[in-house]
Formats: sequence, C-alpha cells, structure tokens
Amino acid sequence: MDRQEGEMKLERLTQIVLGRPKLVIGLVVAISIFFIAQFPKITIDTDPKHMLPATSPVRQYNDKVEKDFVLHPDVIVLGVVNTDGIFNPKTLTYVKDLTNAVRQIPGVIVRDVDSLSTVENVFSKEGELVVKPALGDIPQTTEELAVLRKSILDNSLFVGRFISSDGKAIAIFIPIETGANGKEIADKIRTLLPKNSGLNRFYLAGDPVARDTFGTEMFRQMGLFSPIAGLVMCIALWFMFRNGIVIIANMAAAMISIIWSMGGLIGLGFPVHIMSSMAPVFLMAIATDSVHIFNEFAFRLSEGQDKRRAILETMKVVGPPVFYSDITTAVGFAALATVTIVPVKIFGLVVAFGTLVILLLSFTFIPALLMLIPEKHILKLASAHGKGEKFSPSLLRLGRFCVEKAKPILLVGIVLFIVAMTGLMRIHVNNNMVHWFKFNSEVRTADRIMNKYLGGTSTAYLIVQTKNEGAVGDSAFLRQIESLQRELEKDPLIGKTFSLADYIKRANLIMHDNVPPFNRIPDSKQEVGQYLFLLQSAAKPRHLDNVVDFSLKTANIIIQLKSWDADVMKSVIDRANSFFASHPLSEETNFKPAGIAYFNMVWNHEVLWGMVNSFLWGLILVLILLVFQTRSFLWGILSFLPLLFTIALIYGVVGLIGKDFDMPVAVLSTLSLGMAIDFAIHFVGRFHQRYKEAPRKPEGDGLASYSQSHLKEALIWTVARPGKGIFLNAILFALGFAVMAFSALTPYITVGVFMAAIMILSSVMSVIYLPALIQLGHRKLIKEGGV
Amino acid sequence: MKKVLSFLAIVFMLFVSVFWTKNVYAQDTQNGKTAMSEMLLAYYYPQTDAKSEISMRIVNRQGQVRQRRLTMLRLNQTSGGDQSYYIYFHEPADVKGMSFLVLKHPGRNDDRWLYFPAIDLVKRIATSDKRTSFAGSDFTYEDVSGRALDDDGHELIGEENLGTQPCLVVKSVPKRQGEAEFSYRKFWIDKTTHLSLKVEHYDFKGKIYKVYETQEIQTIQGTPTITKAVMKDLENERYTEITMKNVSYNVGITSDIFQERLLRRPPRQWIGE
Repeated sequence: MDRQEGEMKLERLTQIVLGRPKLVIGLVVAISIFFIAQFPKITIDTDPKHMLPATSPVRQYNDKVEKDFVLHPDVIVLGVVNTDGIFNPKTLTYVKDLTNAVRQIPGVIVRDVDSLSTVENVFSKEGELVVKPALGDIPQTTEELAVLRKSILDNSLFVGRFISSDGKAIAIFIPIETGANGKEIADKIRTLLPKNSGLNRFYLAGDPVARDTFGTEMFRQMGLFSPIAGLVMCIALWFMFRNGIVIIANMAAAMISIIWSMGGLIGLGFPVHIMSSMAPVFLMAIATDSVHIFNEFAFRLSEGQDKRRAILETMKVVGPPVFYSDITTAVGFAALATVTIVPVKIFGLVVAFGTLVILLLSFTFIPALLMLIPEKHILKLASAHGKGEKFSPSLLRLGRFCVEKAKPILLVGIVLFIVAMTGLMRIHVNNNMVHWFKFNSEVRTADRIMNKYLGGTSTAYLIVQTKNEGAVGDSAFLRQIESLQRELEKDPLIGKTFSLADYIKRANLIMHDNVPPFNRIPDSKQEVGQYLFLLQSAAKPRHLDNVVDFSLKTANIIIQLKSWDADVMKSVIDRANSFFASHPLSEETNFKPAGIAYFNMVWNHEVLWGMVNSFLWGLILVLILLVFQTRSFLWGILSFLPLLFTIALIYGVVGLIGKDFDMPVAVLSTLSLGMAIDFAIHFVGRFHQRYKEAPRKPEGDGLASYSQSHLKEALIWTVARPGKGIFLNAILFALGFAVMAFSALTPYITVGVFMAAIMILSSVMSVIYLPALIQLGHRKLIKEGGV
Repeated sequence: MKKVLSFLAIVFMLFVSVFWTKNVYAQDTQNGKTAMSEMLLAYYYPQTDAKSEISMRIVNRQGQVRQRRLTMLRLNQTSGGDQSYYIYFHEPADVKGMSFLVLKHPGRNDDRWLYFPAIDLVKRIATSDKRTSFAGSDFTYEDVSGRALDDDGHELIGEENLGTQPCLVVKSVPKRQGEAEFSYRKFWIDKTTHLSLKVEHYDFKGKIYKVYETQEIQTIQGTPTITKAVMKDLENERYTEITMKNVSYNVGITSDIFQERLLRRPPRQWIGE
C-alpha cells in the first residue's frame, strides 16, 4: 500500500531528524538566509491593467485605442469645489495657478494638462466667432465675471467635464507618464494646494491616485497587521501551552514559509501584486496547523512518555492528518494556476509552495525544535496539561451531546443550509476599486464629491468602426452616435458622454449665432467637413484626435462614469447593444468598448469567474484526495461535508447581507477550501485511529450494544482530544485575523473578518456535525469504511 | 594714500566689470534680436508680394495621412509691418472653396475672416490665441503668419554649424509665460540666408517636444526660399510636411483682393481651380 509506505517514509524522516536536530535547524536557517537575500530585489506592481496578460486581446485592443486616439491611460483629476460658485477671482486664480504649477511636477505630461485655462473656448459674439482660452485673464468685476460664467457654461463641451452645470466645481485633468506613481504625484499636488482657501475645497481623484494610494497603503497595512496578527497569536499560544519554545516553533514555521515563498517569488523576478501581498497572512494562517502537533505532544508528554518517544508517537498519529490537510490546502491554492489572470495564478502558486514548506517543516524543523526543549520546560508543558487523560469537561459534554442529539443537530443543519441557499441565490458579482477604501477616506471622499458635481471619474470608450473612409463625417452616422449618447445618458451613473457629434453640433450652433434650432448635426457632409476644419484650427489637434481618426473611418465616444462598479460598464454595453439592435448601423460597421472602466469590468469578470472555476476544480480535487486518503467514497464525502457547509453558510451570508462578491471575497473562497477541510481531516483521521486502537469487541450477545458504545466512546474521545486541537487552532487563527478588521482598507477588513468566520465555522462544523453524522450513518460507514 | 588708491582702483574695477558684463549682455540680446528680426524679414517678408501653392501632409502615429492643398497670396503693406494674406483651400474635397483672409498687424490682434462655402457664409474670427493649430496641422497659426518680434526676449547663445551651414543659435523666451505652449524656443538661423534651419520647442519643464526643420531651400527670383519643411511633434508622434510649389515674387498682387466680400469669389487670376 503506497499510503502506508508514504506514512512509513514520513516516520523515517522524523527519526532521522530527531538524530540530528541541530543540523536540521541549521540547514533551515541557511536556506532562509538565501531567500532573505532575495528581498532587496522586490518590485511592486499595482496596475490593475496588469491583471490581464500582455497578450490578452482586451489589453492589446485597449493599448491600440489609447495609441490611435492619443488618449492618456493614466489621468489624475484635481477638483476645485466652492459651494458659493467658482466664478470669483480667488477661485479662478487658484485654477489658473494650479494648472500652471502642476505642469512643473515630474511625471506630469506637461502639454496635455487640461483645464479651463488651457482649452480654447469657441463661441459666437455679435456675429463673430471668438476663439480664446476659456479662462484667460481673470476678470475682477461682477459684470465681467457674469460674462465669463455665461461663456463657459454655455459651452456644452465643457459642462460636466471641466465645470459642473451649477458652476460650483471645476476639474483639472492631469495626465501622467506611464510608470509614474500616481500617489507620489498626488502628494506633490497636495503641497501646491493653497492653505486657508476659504470655501474652496480641493479633491484628488482618478484611477492612478486610487491605484497607487492603494499600493502604498497595502504594504503599510500588511507591514502593520502581519506582526500584530502574529503577536496576538503568540499571546494566545502562551495561554494555551505556556511554553516559549512552542510559540517560537509555531511562529518560526510561519515566518520561514513566508520567507521562502516570498523570497522565491521575488528571486524569480515576479513583481509583488495586490494579491501576492496577502500571501504572508494566508501562510501565517495555514501554519497554525502545527498546533495539532503541539496539542498531541503535550498530551503524550503528560501521559508520561519520554521526550523522543512522545515526539515519534505524536508524529505517527498526527503526521498523516497534517500531511493530508496541508496537501489539500496546497491543491486548493494550486488550482488557482488554472486562472488566466497572472497575479492570481502567481498568488495561488506562492501560497501552495508556502504550504508545502509548512508541511516539510512540520516533519523536520518542528520535531527538531521539540527535541531541543530542555527537560524542565517539558515538565512545565506536561503539567500544564495535567497528568493522564484529563479532558475538558465541557468538550466531553459537547461530544456526548453531538452523539446523542444527532437528529436534531442534523435538522438544524438542514434548515441553515436552506437559508444559506437562498442567500447564495442572491449573490451579486461586482467589484469597485474605489470601495477598497473606507467611506470617509480621502480617496473615496474625493471620488464621491467629484462624481456628485461632474460627469464622472471613471472613463470608458466606445469605438465605432466603419468600413469606408470619411463615413464618420456622414450626417446620418453622427446623428446615430448622438442618439446613442442620449440613450446611454439615461443611466444616472453614466454622467457625461462626448464624441465628434458634440463638436460638430457645437460648431453648427455657433456658426449660426447661437440660434437654438442649429444645435444639431447639419444635413450635408460638406458642412460637417467644413466645421471639422474650423474646429481643427480652433483647438489643440489632440482634442479632435481623441474622438476621430484622420481618415474619418473610426469614431470614439468618450464616456464618463460616476461609479467604478463593474456593473455600470455592463450597463453601457447592454444599452449600446440594445440601441444598435433597434437602430442598426450600416453594414460592416461595428462597435467595441475600451478604456479603464471596460478593462476593470473584464478583469473583474475573469478574476471572479476564474476563481469560481478554479474553486470548483479545487473542490473536486479535494474530494478525490479525501476519498484516496480515507480509502472510501462515503468517508470521503463525509469529510467533505463540513467544508461544503461552511462555504455555503459563508457565501449565503454574503448574499443575504448584500455584500458584493468582489475580488477579496473570491480570493477567500480558495482559502476556505484549504482551511475548512483541515479540521475534518484531523477529526476523521484521529477518530479512525482511536476506533482501531480501542479494545476489540467481546464474543456473543453483547456485540451490538458493545459496538455501539465503543463507537460513542471513540467519537466523544475525538471531540474532547483532537477536538481541543481543532478549537485551539481555530481560536488562534480567528484572533490573529480579527485584528485586521481595524485596517484602513476594506479588502483587508473583509479578509480578516472572513478568515475568522471561516475558521470558527469550519471548526464547529467539523466537531459538531462529523460525530452527529458518523453516529447517524455508522452502520453504512463502519461497514463500508472497514474501520 | 596707498589705501585711497587701492580703494579707487577697486571701485573702478567694480564699475568697469559691471559695465562690461552689462554691455556684453546687452550685446548678446541685441545680437539675438537682430538675428531674429533678420530671420522674420527673410522668412515672412521677402519681396513685396508672393504667390505660392502649398501642400501639407499631416501624418499621425498610426501612419494615417491628411492632405491639404492651398494657394497663398501675400502682400506686404510695410516691410516688417502689416501684411495681407489670402489663403484658398483646394483639397480635401469637402473643404474645397474655403478661404481665409488675414490682415496681419504685428503688435495687436490680426483681422481674420473665414469663408464656409457649404453654408455660403463669411465669419469674422476674433482671437488672441497663440496656440491654435493651422488647419489641423502641427504648425500653429503663429508658425505660419509669424510671431511678433517683441513678444519674446531673444538672446544669441552661440554659433554652430548645421550640416555645412554656419548658423547663429538664438534662444527666444516669451515675455508672457503661459500664453504660448512653449517656455522657450531655440532657433538655428543660417548666417547667409537668415532663414531658420531648425527650431526646437521646449515645454514648461524644459523638455523638447516639437522640432521644426527646413528640408529644402531654393533660390527663386534671387530670393532664398524655403520650399520644403517639416514640423515634428515628438510626444504625439505626429508630423506635418509642408511643400511649396510654383513660388513667384512680385507678381503684382494688389490690396483690393484682400476684402472680406471677395472670399466668396476668389480672384481667378491668382487662384486656379
């Protein structure tokens, strides 16, 4: 039997380790130093666009669109809000001065900073066309200010983009170079903002600010909460074992696995992404599995065994469940390698590797450390657990309760499961990067305020491609584009759209001295061409290049969205699809979305469904492993149930409370897979051993009742003894990660709360439902399982 | 006595050095301004009048091309002073017949009119803007019609050979910063023809973003004339090539054609179909 052989080999390994504990520890330290040496090479990548591989068609098309239409991928939006209105000399001076000042900042694309003081306003005045900077010399008198206000607010191209329709907010668009850090530039902009500016408020929004602030904050939070989580776990370990070596062993195992896996990641030249930054926390959680070793070791010692024998016996009984639970955890994470999203793939492999390191350490480093515990400490550890088989009375009571009240327990479970199912039905898949910040954070507040006043901080493009050169200049085509824009704008979260149609309409209006009926697309193609010519001479070439190509074959509709929800972009696409279904474009004309909002939607979709997909694969793999480990289909399913139940409940609650199923939540599903299964493996494994070890049945009539009481005894023992390890593990874990609820970033709060919930739930599910189910199905299980 | 003498000597030296540096500075700006003024005259004002056919090729970073063909008539009112321009567009087809009248007044805003044949309408265009593009090209309106000498401070910063041509290098800094797109420009002015062979545009961070280069000079009726040039936008990866054909000077253009109402009926003796 290869299973037995495998376990024999593990036992041999432990024996070898116990012969040379110092050598083993020295070796582990040496390898760790090698991996630590890789850390200075660290590179960080927070660009969500890198979620998709460089070869992905969406990314390539997006790059092409940005290149063809000279669009800047990274734009910071500086908002100036004055609730009394911005048309006063002070605010206008701020706008003009800030526009000039931000251009000095390294990383800012100087010429393309756009605000009212850099764009031309073309308007009609007493029959003349006036072309001049929208905000030139700052007027000082009330009359002049009123004239300026009218000239700007009358220009539909400006309203919603550069200025709010109520004249209370202004936006300055600051494109930054690729690779420039949005947070650093935002910080530099903050130093330029005037102090004591009265009613004027300044806000910084836009994708690069959110993304790079998150990137910086992410490492700060990880740097802060990883040690706090570790500390809390140390304290909890102290109360459980009152032994320094145990704490050192546990924390060292976690640290070493983190160092090896992160060092390996960095050494191989991969950048650390939002996802992989969370790997240390996950590994710390997985490392708590070694508590089972300490728990059993303490029991064995207190039973009076000598140290070496206690370690060997401990590894003999705890070894297989530790082995299988770590393997299933590793498989769960490795399943993420099937996802197309590169950072997710890397994250899965890093954690899987780290888990294998923990597994290796459990059989080498930890026994070696235990071997080095001085005798007096051993006595303390043993006395802490008391002499002989002394169980916690409450756990014994719990065990009896589970065995005796199996049916009601099962019924409660079924009811909970049905409730969870209704919650699962209501799960809403969505993601919103700005919501990764807390409601009152600077980034989210800026985004909210800007979206309240202006067209929207998120951007999408709809590229309409025609077959013939010049087709975009066709009046019918432009009218169709215009109707599409009106259709899109019906969604309150789609704030502002603009296209060549808007420019041409505006030109037509001002050519006809602002006579309202001319606020429309002109009828002849020639007229469109001549207005376009006028506009080309009255604007920066780039602004027209943004909306139409040279050959008038392709048009770009720029769409501003008031929310970073992936859902809003879906609404754009749905509305465009249904619009073109009822107003078909001419033959061989098609449209394609692009831009950051679309990009976010696509990778969210891929991350989320990729996660779900790999999660389902993980479930199947874990089930196969369980069947293999228990050598029984039924026992495999049984060990699988607490996992399924935990997941159903957790995501049922997500659905019921209306929390979006977003990326952090999706990542957690894989964690739950690995963690929740551990307890069941330990429980079932230890139960089997106990059931086998216990004295065999007597001959004759008492057979049935004896076998029944033997089963009960074994179940109650499992609840009380390995069950204690399970609960200790769960509490330790939950405590460590509950502190993350105080994080400033919502994904970490989610991770903290969810990890704690998963641990507590899966431990309870394993310790309560497994005995109840085994009790109820013992006839079938025991016969089938051949226990 | 020695003390007094040495004191006087120091005062004298200080005085001389102040005078000397000031003088050198004045000389340099003086030379810069002279060179620039000669360049403006050679480029924008040669002879009394001129007629030329201009082709523009605007190429974007996708390699797409926009063509413009136009006829330009120019008449100097005074040398280095007021000028009149009549520009008629032949191509592309949808703008054919559009014409542009400019009465240039250095030192104040030009008078401009644009005629739209599609709606048979002449519009006067009032602008003080220095940054607008000329007909969608990489040349600005100012590049085509000239920027007033006094809008910038000019400084001769050196002499350099461009190819085999000895050039004066002049740095021009706008007096009103923020009004133009550049923070300064550098001109390479050919010492013999006074035409600029290269112009570099620098942004507010001192980074070069646009380069003008003369590609061909022909001597027409004794006047060295730029017949081919290119303006490259380095950041947006666009460029515009400009080619002059059938340039002729002193053809007898008269003031009466530079009238708003004549935009509808272009003078056929000068402008073919």
